[in-house]
Amino acid sequence: MTNFRVPGRGRVQHGKPVTFTFDSKTFRGLEGDTVASALLANGVHLMGRSFKYHRPRGPVSAGSEEPNALVGTRRGKGQFEPNTRATVQEIWNGLQVNSQNKYPSLKFDIGAVNDRAYMLFSAGFYYKTFMWPKSFWDKVYEPFIRSAAGLGVSPSEPDPDHYASRYLHTDVLVVGAGPAGLAAARSAASAGLRVTLVDENAEAGGTLLSEPQVEINGQPAWTWLASELAELEKLGVRIMTRTTAIGYYHQNMVGLCQKLTDHLKTPDAATPRERLWRVRAGQVILAQGALEKPLVFDGNDRPGVMLAGAAQTYLNRYGVRVGSRAVVATSHDSAWYAAFDLAEAGTFVEAIVDTRQEPRSDLVTEAKRRGITVLAGYTVTGTSGRLRVSSVRVNKVQNGKVLEAETLTCDCLLMCGGWTPSLHLFSHTKGSLQWDPEAQTFLPDRKTEDCQIAGAGRGLWGIEAALTDGRDMGAACAKALGKSPAVASVSVGNDRPGTGVSHTELPTDLNPGKARAFVDYQNDVTAKDLRLAVREGMRSIEHVKRYTTNGMATDQGKMSNINGLNIAADALGKPQPQVGLTTFRPPYTPTTFGALAGYHRGDHFEVTRKTPIDGWAEAHGAVFEPVSQWRRAWYFPKPGEDMEEAVSRECRATRASLGIFDASTLGKIEVVGPDAVEFMNRMYTNPWTKLAPGRTRYGLLLGDDGFIRDDGVIGRLTNDRFHITTTTGGAARVLNMMEDYLQTEWPDLKVWLTSTTEQWSTIALNGPNARNLLEPFVEGLDLSDEAFPHMSIAECTVAGFPSRLFRVSFTGELGFEVNVPARYGRALWEKLFEAGQKYDICPYGTETMHVLRAEKGYIIVGQDTDGTVTPYDAGQGWAVGKTKPDFVGKRGLARPDLAAEGRKQLVGLLTKDGKTKLEEGAQIVFDPNQPIPMKMVGHVTSSYHSVAAGRPIAMALVEGGYSRMGETVYIPMPFGTVEATITGTVFYDPEGERLKL
Amino acid sequence: MTAHINLSQAGVLAKSLAASVTLLEPVARFSLRTGAAGQAKLSAALGLTLPTKVGQRTQAGQTEVLCLGPDEWMLHTSESLAGTILQACESVYADAPHSLTEISDREVTVRIEGPKASELLTLGCPRDLDKLPVGEARRTVFDGATIILWRDAAETYRIDVWRSFAPHLISLLQTGCGELAAE
Repeated sequence: MTNFRVPGRGRVQHGKPVTFTFDSKTFRGLEGDTVASALLANGVHLMGRSFKYHRPRGPVSAGSEEPNALVGTRRGKGQFEPNTRATVQEIWNGLQVNSQNKYPSLKFDIGAVNDRAYMLFSAGFYYKTFMWPKSFWDKVYEPFIRSAAGLGVSPSEPDPDHYASRYLHTDVLVVGAGPAGLAAARSAASAGLRVTLVDENAEAGGTLLSEPQVEINGQPAWTWLASELAELEKLGVRIMTRTTAIGYYHQNMVGLCQKLTDHLKTPDAATPRERLWRVRAGQVILAQGALEKPLVFDGNDRPGVMLAGAAQTYLNRYGVRVGSRAVVATSHDSAWYAAFDLAEAGTFVEAIVDTRQEPRSDLVTEAKRRGITVLAGYTVTGTSGRLRVSSVRVNKVQNGKVLEAETLTCDCLLMCGGWTPSLHLFSHTKGSLQWDPEAQTFLPDRKTEDCQIAGAGRGLWGIEAALTDGRDMGAACAKALGKSPAVASVSVGNDRPGTGVSHTELPTDLNPGKARAFVDYQNDVTAKDLRLAVREGMRSIEHVKRYTTNGMATDQGKMSNINGLNIAADALGKPQPQVGLTTFRPPYTPTTFGALAGYHRGDHFEVTRKTPIDGWAEAHGAVFEPVSQWRRAWYFPKPGEDMEEAVSRECRATRASLGIFDASTLGKIEVVGPDAVEFMNRMYTNPWTKLAPGRTRYGLLLGDDGFIRDDGVIGRLTNDRFHITTTTGGAARVLNMMEDYLQTEWPDLKVWLTSTTEQWSTIALNGPNARNLLEPFVEGLDLSDEAFPHMSIAECTVAGFPSRLFRVSFTGELGFEVNVPARYGRALWEKLFEAGQKYDICPYGTETMHVLRAEKGYIIVGQDTDGTVTPYDAGQGWAVGKTKPDFVGKRGLARPDLAAEGRKQLVGLLTKDGKTKLEEGAQIVFDPNQPIPMKMVGHVTSSYHSVAAGRPIAMALVEGGYSRMGETVYIPMPFGTVEATITGTVFYDPEGERLKL
Repeated sequence: MTAHINLSQAGVLAKSLAASVTLLEPVARFSLRTGAAGQAKLSAALGLTLPTKVGQRTQAGQTEVLCLGPDEWMLHTSESLAGTILQACESVYADAPHSLTEISDREVTVRIEGPKASELLTLGCPRDLDKLPVGEARRTVFDGATIILWRDAAETYRIDVWRSFAPHLISLLQTGCGELAAE
């Protein structure tokens, strides 16, 4: 195995070897290595296959922008991750790494036939190929595309890791801990501000980690870095590494994803894998630097072809030479320094190929001093080598003419097409960009948030420029926050300032139509594809992007967007700003679902509200159903019972003797004040003035539009105090609506609202034995029908607990609802249940409650109504106080269409065969023989098997239903058409005798 | 699946080197609502001055009052004093119309204390806690549930939360106690 490690060089721990596997083969790296740097140190460039053509690929970068070296990593059972960037993942002993998109092996891959057929896979290939015949789409094309789509294999096991999240408030958030970010943090922190400095890399330093030759204020770069970080920490700066600012949202909210354990062999079990930070910052400083652009030429994707800056990073930060014989191809000064560094480390530099006719003379002199051949005014026209570059074809360009080719032997080709300021986060804010024609790039222009962009992120070049700018931007933020920071001077030695030019595809003497000159490596988009898209009519960069998929891969076009734009603009013959730049969207780099879900999984998935009696229900085998945020006991099956059997038994037991039901989730609102009754009159349809204290009334609440919003039984405790109940799901909504009216429409009313939903546990007792059970427990109240008739309320004690007792029924049986302070709910329930044994007391759930109320024709808001139903439609016209001067919804009800004849009205339905239970939601027609599409005249709202009626019963909204009593309607179902008769909605005890026991 | 916590037993719910979470014994709680005109008479009846800035608190004996809105206060007092509060307010009702509604059982209170108590709260509370002075309180949210957050000392807080939301909230505080201790 060849060793490309440079002893003693870089920031890796040379004394601490680490072993890991790549495609089951064991490799040795060093602590501090990434997968990519460790493999490169072993001479391995081939790390994956490309998505469309299955071309062999190796790392092209050394950072998070990597489009090629995507691998699968496995840390343990269930801890498999596809598409991990090898350039980011740190190694540890035992890490398992696998290459992707290859079969049967990375070095010999059958899918590479796509590469031979590349002329077929042009831009818009899918749109053109998978058009006809139409019938092929479902069975052939879509499955094919789906199996071909996506890189890597999705994890198939549950994720055993856990994830976390936090909120963070900071005065200044600095994104990027390179020289600009460090200087900005220093300025802001020394002004006494709370400063947070984040960087996606394993350690802070940014460019300084790749340029150790720099001297800052007389200190070597890395010495200065260490002392500066210590100083920042002393100033209280929160420094977070392995932390990516993934999105920049409104009002300086920035999302950070912090990776905590992926780099550890044995993380602490209590430590989450990742943590999402929701940061609210007074000021944000974007110091994200610039990303190096590839040059676009035929064969620019072969393993061994990489960015010059990346090679410099591998050398200086990781102590790895990316090859032993390098050709450097560039249009920017920066790559010259990479060449010099590599030459110094022992790599033979075959030549520096510069596209510019006259590169900077000091660089040329330096190259000559080192014996490096300089080819100025050259182009690159091809590479060769199957799994690794072995030579590069270059040509002199003279007066726009590409001359004869020369071939240079190499094992790595380092390219640089200039640098693109990283504008991703700025783009998230919808800040506008300005085209800089000289630098041939976009720069940040008008800002929409309180932020500053510092350093290379706004087109500056060189360490000194970055430090100075960062310092000033930090000071600007401090000033904006009302501080006056001290600003120190900066001196930098051995800096490497530079400039460059920008290109579209490099000129070639060969047929450009056959060139595989890649622009987007991850999605295999070539320059030819972009030009084809323009020829086929794409004009906007957004269309070009979608047609070619340029910039649509997981790297979001970090390398490809500007090259793509330049080529598209050239093909269109328009300046770049007129063609436009596609919008970057969060997240900046791929982010796990785990990080976004945070703590919300398993037991903590979402808030599940439970009543004080919930634990009893659970212990007694209840099956639960969710009702808004609550979980409620649905039914209580006995061993061997299914739901229908359990519900029938519960219904029968309640009507025969006694049922007990947990109604604690009912919304409750206390209305108090001298104007309480006036408020009630205005809010509800019913009249309240004459309701005496100690009495209750069914209340109906409408919206302005006249449609039913909520209902419930309301008790008047005193002249100035009402106890409202609402539906379970409507509690919060109703209180909000009432507060809204009170605060905006009637601020003059002396009345106040308090939610008491959770103050009370509510136990409903229903059945002929309800009073017999309750009476011995009650003190301070005569429970007889004469003294405490149906629809009464009183304060008393029940089993020694202070109580608000309602006589009310939602079943049609004699009924009471006992409200006790929530802490006593469970105890009271247990006492009643125990004493109720002699009445065969039966706990029942929400399903039985639904059946019993349907047998009586009592509506459920939201089931029998849907927001388009008036009180008259629902048979509740009796609840509307017609002589009241006003109430919410009164004017709505007067609208002609709401007062019209023949609206959908709530009626009963009985199936003619007496056996078929209708399906809730089923559509109803008058004539089953009419042509399809039939005219639908309503739908079934409630449908149950009724023990009391001895047959299925249903309620439905039917056009003109009230005037169609006895008529037949039809319900077409998949199994056949069901006939049903329209009836009234009361199926049991129509006289209400059972309420009067 | 859902979180289970026994809310009838006061005591320590979680404890680590970072922080501890304790369910406190029940207290009497009232929501007091009144307009500007009634405040002076109610203050006199209660023997304290109702604070008028949202978030401000006053304490008189065992009774604590927190201003939650221009016309809204939260009263906490010992259970033995609940009747006294009810009578005191009732006695001025005619001259100072108001709503005094008992909500002792609507919510429960947990205390959070320890070196990382503030940090623990950042798991679920989006407010800037540096801007919540000791001795004040705020109505805010924690992991989706409405809470009242009382800051009693630099690293001592109380959270009032509606009873049914408490298990969800407490389970995250328990997770957080372990997570912060591992840092």
